[in-house]
Amino acid sequence: MSKKNKQGVRLVIVNLFFLLLCFGVLIPILYAFSVSLNAENSLLGANFSFLPKKITLQNYKAVFTEKPILLWFKNSVILAVTTLVISLGTGIPAAYAFSRKQFPGRKMILRLLILLYAFPSLLSMMALYKLLSPLGLINTKTGLIIVYTGTMAVFALWNMKGYFDTIPVEIEEAARIDGATQFRLVTRVVLPLARPTIAVTAMMILVYVWNEYIFAINFMTGSDTYTLAAGLYSLQATEMSGSWPVFSAASLVVSLPILIVFFAMQKNMATGLISGGVKG
Amino acid sequence: MKKQQCTIREKKKIRRETISAYGQSLPSILLILLIVIFPIMYTGYISLTNMNVYHWNNYELIGLENYKEALLVFDNGFLTALFVTILWTIVNMVLQLVIAYGIAALLNINGLRLRNLYRTLLIFPWAMPGYVSILLWKTGMYNSQFGLLNQWIIKLGGEPVRWLNSNILAFISCTAVNLWLALPFMITIIDGALQSLDKSFYESAVLDGATWMEQTRYITIPMIKPIIAPSVLITTFTTFKQFDIIYLLTQQVGAKTGADIHTILTYAYEKAFITNNYGYSSAISILIFGMLIAFSLLTGTNNRRRTNE
Repeated sequence: MSKKNKQGVRLVIVNLFFLLLCFGVLIPILYAFSVSLNAENSLLGANFSFLPKKITLQNYKAVFTEKPILLWFKNSVILAVTTLVISLGTGIPAAYAFSRKQFPGRKMILRLLILLYAFPSLLSMMALYKLLSPLGLINTKTGLIIVYTGTMAVFALWNMKGYFDTIPVEIEEAARIDGATQFRLVTRVVLPLARPTIAVTAMMILVYVWNEYIFAINFMTGSDTYTLAAGLYSLQATEMSGSWPVFSAASLVVSLPILIVFFAMQKNMATGLISGGVKG
Repeated sequence: MKKQQCTIREKKKIRRETISAYGQSLPSILLILLIVIFPIMYTGYISLTNMNVYHWNNYELIGLENYKEALLVFDNGFLTALFVTILWTIVNMVLQLVIAYGIAALLNINGLRLRNLYRTLLIFPWAMPGYVSILLWKTGMYNSQFGLLNQWIIKLGGEPVRWLNSNILAFISCTAVNLWLALPFMITIIDGALQSLDKSFYESAVLDGATWMEQTRYITIPMIKPIIAPSVLITTFTTFKQFDIIYLLTQQVGAKTGADIHTILTYAYEKAFITNNYGYSSAISILIFGMLIAFSLLTGTNNRRRTNE
């Protein structure tokens, strides 16, 4: 066999391998999609098939009409936006100060932040519960916002500080020599330069709140206070229950915004994250 | 005289800068102090008490009793959980690196036209919300009645398997889900590192008659090692801190599957919120935090040494 032929055969095999691999990887999602569209509730028994024989949107309709998913959506949005505003509002000036200014205590605080970043907030959940409950903040949105803001404040400060470090100081100095006031300097020079990291940090905060379920199910009782994540958790099909088609429809509905955000921001993500906190 | 004035002015400048820096970061620092640091310290305090469901308000200090229980009484399960966690981290990291390297290397084969399509499809599990994927795996794949795996087994004439009911099988099932979730990131990192390599190194190696294995061992791996090291380190941390997969697959309240595998995080959670032994659970939390600090200090100094070389 000539060298070219050999290479051709190799390419065919590699392509086949990747097609199989991609299909295999997507099976859990494809199967959920297929189940959510399946008209016959034929999940059991001999007439099982991977592809639905009759297609229906009934399960998606059920998600929106029978379950309080719009209410959960509203709760998630309120929590996510409030957390976002507080963590960015406090995080941006702090990250800027830590990146640009030399002051006593700076190094120590930064070291402490790395350690805090490694601490899973799950471990202090009990203490948080015990602290928030005499204040009457358990089972309130405020309580969850407090928890989320604290967790995200560490991340926001650390991640954005790393990005500010990569912006040359000379740009700001030049603007200052040109007579820009401190306010103009920040609004016209610093913030536009920091836009990528602000966008990525904002996205990470939104995704975190969107996906957080363990605090939400422990701190919230009663399904009308649930977030989307907690609501989905409560909907899940157990070993015996047959609500699996509705659950898979709900899962895909909840995932869709995250999927869109992820693929839209994929390019930004590399720059905003890698030059930010991860490099440490 | 003049010199002194100068230093005074400088001192004033430094003080002004310090004040403005703290002024700017005060809200953020205050948030972190109140919501993150204070609860950790409070956890430390609880760990020294006998707080539990019977002693919710009238608890008392009992010294290091909880730590003794965790570290010296083998039957309490913490040491087993720690062992399982270390095993889990090693198994997952080794599999992840080997598989991700293999796939990334194949993605970079010459003449693979569809590689961008494959990249996008393979990244999908990373883009899905993690807990949703885990729940879909639990029901869609592993459910003993209508899970896909058992449907296929039955079709092929086999006996349905209870994937999550026994320890070893559950460990393997959880590992499969973790690989599914984590490989896209690792493949992306290694793929990026491979693309950044200078091809000319290989040309001379090929001229010298080096085989593919030799090229991999003596050129590729040493070259990508420093590039992927930070990401590997971070993934090791997240694997060690894994909670969602094992909790959601095997130990949800009211839906325990019978498998009894614990990582240290699910163990701490169970002691706090299921068996309500708050003091003991807090001691576990502090021990885990201590380990994470030690681990990050250790790897931090290693990294610095490496960059100094």
